[in-house]
Amino acid sequence: MFKEGTVNMKADIKVSEEIIRNRLSQMIINEMCKKKEFKIPIHLALGHESIAVAVSAVMEEDDRLVLTHRNIHYNLARNPCFKAEIDEYLLKSEGLAGGRLGAMNLANERRGIVYTSSILGNNLSVAAGMALGKKVKEEDGIVIVVTGDGAMEEGAFYEGVTFLKTCNLNAIVIVENNEWSLATRIQERRCPIHLDRFASSLDVDYVLLTGNDVYAYITALKQARREAIERNAPVIIEVKLRTLGDWRLKTEEYPDGKFINYHAGASPSIEVSEWPLIREDDSDPVFVLSRYFEIGQLRNISCDMLNRLTGEIQ
Amino acid sequence: MKYVQHINELIRTTIDNSNPIVLYGQNISAGSCISGLTRGLKNGEKRLVINTPNIESTQVGIGFGLMLSGVSSVFFMKQQDFLLLGIDHLVNTYNFVRINEPSASFTIVPVVVDSGYEGIQSSLNNFSDFCSIARIAGYAITNRHDADHIVRTHLVSPGFRIIGVSQRLFQTEILSCENDPTVYNNGEIFQYYEGADITIVCFNFSFPQGMKLREELATLGLSSSLFSVNVMTPIDWLHILRDVSRTKKLIVIDDSKSVNRSCYHLTTEVYRECSIDRVLTLTRDVTDECLRPCSEEFSIDTNSIMKTLRQ
Repeated sequence: MFKEGTVNMKADIKVSEEIIRNRLSQMIINEMCKKKEFKIPIHLALGHESIAVAVSAVMEEDDRLVLTHRNIHYNLARNPCFKAEIDEYLLKSEGLAGGRLGAMNLANERRGIVYTSSILGNNLSVAAGMALGKKVKEEDGIVIVVTGDGAMEEGAFYEGVTFLKTCNLNAIVIVENNEWSLATRIQERRCPIHLDRFASSLDVDYVLLTGNDVYAYITALKQARREAIERNAPVIIEVKLRTLGDWRLKTEEYPDGKFINYHAGASPSIEVSEWPLIREDDSDPVFVLSRYFEIGQLRNISCDMLNRLTGEIQ
Repeated sequence: MKYVQHINELIRTTIDNSNPIVLYGQNISAGSCISGLTRGLKNGEKRLVINTPNIESTQVGIGFGLMLSGVSSVFFMKQQDFLLLGIDHLVNTYNFVRINEPSASFTIVPVVVDSGYEGIQSSLNNFSDFCSIARIAGYAITNRHDADHIVRTHLVSPGFRIIGVSQRLFQTEILSCENDPTVYNNGEIFQYYEGADITIVCFNFSFPQGMKLREELATLGLSSSLFSVNVMTPIDWLHILRDVSRTKKLIVIDDSKSVNRSCYHLTTEVYRECSIDRVLTLTRDVTDECLRPCSEEFSIDTNSIMKTLRQ
């Protein structure tokens, strides 16, 4: 059942369960989006599960997480109650934030998610303020701020990292690079930004994560967290990933179908199923789990999980 | 004592009793220390003084981040128009933070560039324009009395606000009246005098003009009530309306260059609620002249006012 080359089977399988839970939860929400059950805009993060589950796994009690509009994967990873997430999206008082925040600003202070912004680059400076607050109060822990390749084009990104470094503040800046900003790829909208060189120019450590291996991500994040705290400095982690859920739209102009990048709302190409694999390559975090566990075992976990999640919200 | 010296003393005294706190901004403890506004601020036990990089948008976000961490802060800003770069935070971040009624304090203290010689940058001198975009509490400091109340009460207090100081007044002797004013609505409205003939109400930083007008009218035998509205839009105009109902004559002075002046809220209420003989609204002409470096004197012609009142 457990493939060679890994250790601590009990702990490991729980991480895989979390990836599957995160994926299935999003798929269920996608079905609800198709039925237009939500009035609010929801940005799914299919394909982003590995970094979210890894961040949640390494967070200590005093750590603080700061998110952006595409935050569903982190909120699901940090929040064990699926129904509370759904209720928040339905703007019910039983929701995670009492129905006051909806999706794009969803935070969960009890689970360390203290601020979420729907404005690109906005959250870097708020995270910097939180890191400064920790320093003044001599508190333990670290601030982890998540942003994307679109936000790193903003001046606020440059300002925020500059301030973190200038004031010797420990923080982890995670850039989820899916290469898209709504409907434009990087090469369609700007010149390349070499984040490693940018980090180097500020004497900030840079780590590149690729391949969606949640176990490797946990190891890398633990090391980055430790080094940031020891050095009182920020670390930038760029995570290359692919947002899944794209589809082809057939029109007269595009009889073979025009590629539509998934950005928000329902993805018509995604169907919820007992085995929630979307792509059979490293761009799918669920596929990567098969390196560690037998598919049959993962399928069983997934089947039970789907029953549990659907039961929870009925 | 100069206006800026008095405010600097008040700031230092108030901050001495507030820990933990972060005081930050560009050059706040270097060079002229924002023309003396922040002179003498020092690091201390759980008090951090930071000369920041030139990162205005981030500076505003930092204050809200500190607030979410339970740490109070004051962000001193050399020019109010720099705050334009932080408007996203004034609206979007503040609207997130305010939901949870934070216990920490965050105050931005910008110098409102209203001396005129900065040209284009002086075109934005309406303090309340900034406050109105997200219903931000804002207090304009114009004299010794409102400075004492506003700084002591609001500089470090749970929640977020902007306290504006006037560059035009920086090196002038700070104005003061014989008696302490009556303070309404926790510092939104100050009443300095009660008179029988006319009600004068000053907005933005026009208190010096109002004070001078009251003195000149007194030499002509007219006694005036004198109010200063130090916030964007007071919720409650009751005390001014009562006075206007008695004097039946209202002179409103607003030195701002906005087309959305706070004084219009008052005049609307006066027309709706009071039986009144005369309303005079004294404002600047907002033209392209405001874009050129100039003295920007906002002077009031008492003779012309008297002529109008007699008509």
